[in-house]
Formats: sequence, C-alpha cells, structure tokens
Amino acid sequence: MPTLTPTLWDEFTNGDRRACARLITLVENHPDAIPDVHDQLATRLGKAIRIGITGPPGVGKSTLNALLALGLADRGHRVGLIAVDPSSPFTGGAFMGDRVRMDRLVGDDRIFMRSLASREGTGGLSPATPYVADVLEGFGMDRILIETVGVGQAELDVMACADIVVLVLQPSTGDSIQSLKAGIIEAADIIVVNKADIPGVELALQALRFALGLGKGRKDRPVPPLMPTSAQQSEGIDKLLDEIEAQAKRLVDSGRHLEMRRARIAREIRSGIERCLWEKYAARADAESGIAHAAEDLARSGGSPYPFIGDACAKINITLDRKAETNDSQDR
Amino acid sequence: MATDTKIKVVVGKPGLDGHDRGAKVVARALVEAGMEVVYLGLRQTPESIVAAAIEEDADVIGLSVLSGAHMTHFPKVMELMKEKGIGDRLLTGGGIIPTKDQETLTAMGVGKLFGPGDDPSLIVNYIQDWVKEHRREN
Ligand SMILES: Nc1nc2c(ncn2[C@@H]2O[C@H](COP(=O)(O)OP(=O)(O)OP(=O)(O)O)[C@@H](O)[C@H]2O)c(=O)[nH]1
Ligand SMILES: [Mg+2]
Repeated sequence: MPTLTPTLWDEFTNGDRRACARLITLVENHPDAIPDVHDQLATRLGKAIRIGITGPPGVGKSTLNALLALGLADRGHRVGLIAVDPSSPFTGGAFMGDRVRMDRLVGDDRIFMRSLASREGTGGLSPATPYVADVLEGFGMDRILIETVGVGQAELDVMACADIVVLVLQPSTGDSIQSLKAGIIEAADIIVVNKADIPGVELALQALRFALGLGKGRKDRPVPPLMPTSAQQSEGIDKLLDEIEAQAKRLVDSGRHLEMRRARIAREIRSGIERCLWEKYAARADAESGIAHAAEDLARSGGSPYPFIGDACAKINITLDRKAETNDSQDR
Repeated sequence: MATDTKIKVVVGKPGLDGHDRGAKVVARALVEAGMEVVYLGLRQTPESIVAAAIEEDADVIGLSVLSGAHMTHFPKVMELMKEKGIGDRLLTGGGIIPTKDQETLTAMGVGKLFGPGDDPSLIVNYIQDWVKEHRREN
C-alpha cells in the first residue's frame, strides 16, 4: 500500500514539483493515506484563498483560468490550479482537455497545474479535490483556482471547498438564465460574462441584472458583481482580478475566511467519524451478510430497520486505529 | 484497490506541423479503455510535454509524430524525461517508423511505437501491460 514516506515528504518540503505531483496522486488514489498526509500538512494550511470557477461547458473557464493564474502570479502570488473533467460512468476513463488552453503556464515555477478526473464525484468535482487543494497549499500556493466540470448545469459542490465562487457564463446564456440550475446564481460571488467580444453581451448582462433584481442572488452576501470579460482578447481580466483580490481581503479581514475554514474542518471531522464508524462495523465478519439478511427479512415480512441499526451500532467499539500509530501530535 | 489504480497518460503532438487527428484518435481509444488522458494539443515542445507530465504524475507519455521527425522528437523528450527524473515512465506513441529507427529509439529507452495503420487496441494493450509490469509504489 503506497504511503507517505519520509523521503517523499522531504522532497515535497524542498519544493520538488515531482514530489508535489506524487503526493497529489497519493491522496487521489489512496484515501487511506489521507490521515497521514493531513497530519503532516496541517501546520501549513489555513492561509490560501480557494477560488472556484464554475459554469456551463465551453464558456471559456480554462482560457480564463490561465489568465487569472498568470495575473495572480504577477501580483506576487503562488498559484495552484485544479481542473476537473468528467469520468465516463461506463468506462471509468476521462478525457481532460483543459491544458490545451493553458499552454502559457507550462514551465512557470509560480504556478502548478493539475487535471483531475471526477471519478465517482457527483457535484462537478472529484472527491479528492479538497485534499488536492490542501497539498497545493502545503506546497506553498496561496491562491488555488478550482475549475469544475462544465456539466450541462454548473454544480454546487464547489461552494463547499471554495472561498470565492466565480460563475462564468457567455452571451448566449442570456436567453436561458431561467434554465440555469436553481441555486447556481445564488452560489456565485462574482458572475462573469465571458466572450464579451461576440455580440449579445449587453443583452446577457441585462438579463442577469434583471434576474438578480428579482431576488436571485445570495441572501447572506452582497449581490454578486457582473463582470464582462474576453479571455480571448485579454479584456476585463485586470478588473476581475481586482474584484477577486478585494473579496479575498474582505473575507480575511472580516473573519469570514476563518469561519469558512472552521466549518470545513468541522465537516471533515464529522465525515471522518462517519467513515471510521462504518469501517469498524464493516470489519466485522458478518457485516455484509448481516445487512443482507436483515434487509431480506424486512423486505419480506415488513418492519423497521431501526432495531437492527441500533444493535449494529451498539456492537461498534470506538477507537481510531491507524496502521502506523503516529506519535507526533500536531494540535491545531 | 491498488490494482484498480487508474492509468494516467499525457498525450501531445510536438512540432509545428499538421493537425492532431491521430493524437485524438489514440487519446479516445485510451479513454475508452478506462484510462485518464490529459490531452495537450498541438505545437508542443519537448519541454512543455515533460513539464506537463511531471505535474500530472503521468505513468505514460504518448506522442503523435507523423511528420517524419520522430528521430528528433522522441530522443529529445526521452532525454528530458531522464534529466527531470521521470525516466521511469513509459514514452510511446505513433509515427511512421522504419525498423532500424525503432531499434535505435528502443536502445535509448523509448517504448514501442505504432503506425497510423495499427489498430488503436494495440497501443491500449501495450500500455496496460507495461504499467502492470512497472507499477510505481506511489
Ligand atoms: N470569442 C471568444 N472565445 C473564447 C473566449 N474564451 C474562450 N473562448 C473559446 O471558447 C472555447 C472553449 O474554451 P475553454 O476555455 O476550453 O472553455 P471551458 O469552459 O473550460 O470548457 P470545458 O472545460 O470543456 O467546459 C475555446 O474554443 C476558446 O478558444 C473569449 O473570450 N471569446
Ligand atoms: Mg475547461
């Protein structure tokens, strides 16, 4: 079973890009290794701003992301980029084409770009996305751009792992704002209308203004600014960067960034406990067959599954055991 | 679980010439076989290909070289892979490669190369077998 070896960790902390890439592969392919990786990374996390870039397919997310990465790097940041593409539910394979738009980033030491297949993830992200972002932050990146799958309708999971959500649309989306997935406009902190070089931008902006005026948009935050850009002609990019950086500063100054981090850690703890309890139960020899029998009985003769659940839980003996008991305690 | 680990392939087309139909056909075949393929597109340099392969932690680099320039592109990429510490990954691809060129390239550490007439399943099988044999620990 692959694990985090001291050599790999040394190389990683020395800034070896190969080691960073291998650590990402480790958390992506071997969830069992995540606790150990996290123990090591923990003291390096908490500062980066994570920016989710979401929106329908083909609106120019990758093209825009490349420019944002360069712009942020020019403003003194180190930038991690994650681009998620859909895995085929039939073959498990994935075609990841975002790099085609990111040629200019290759070989730039201030930027680290990684493509992820969505695998069994459902909300436009791969399940490993937050951990990959952690690895990139641990590697020294203080701005992490996360491009979601351009699913027919942009999805919402990105909210859970991004501090700022940028929704990217294009002029033709103007006609179909009603058809945008409920919630996606509300999720946005910034709405970009890209491809402003083609006709229809004004109409799209109007339609969006109208929709926002109708009370779409977030209740707990200001109405998201509408920003036209042309990634192809590098227009509107500086303004967008200004807005992102202004929001980042507000998040940090107001304590909201810390608050979101707190919520994320609480979620991680909750799901860690869930996973641990399930694994304890599943490790029992009769776990699967027990469930199968109970389900069969209940389906046939009726009755509530809860007594069985109660019994099962009572049998779980709680201790978190790790393959290698780590003794370096790293309290937060 | 480890046996089920996805194979990750970076596919690109070095050089300034032509179109990328061949590269895309191969990329699609690999995806259909369940691999995760990072497609780089046209006009790649050996440097950009190797830099991308490092960040993606690819098991395999696949190049499409139908221009006849295989004796420059493959050796250059192989050399860079070794220099940057990823000489343990597979370099393969397609081109119109005479037997004696394939022999020279093999001696440099380049894997098997396939012709435009070969069935894409040949490269799929070749990659799957190679990775099975050379699986890295992590
Ligand atoms: N006219 C115009 N075309 C653009 C602009 N930005 C991107 N494009 C083009 O739009 C197409 C899609 O761009 P991508 O950046 O790949 O879009 P994406 O949203 O990342 O696409 P997916 O990841 O497939 O969802 C490409 O052909 C780009 O060249 C723009 O500002 N203006
Ligand atoms: Mg994209």
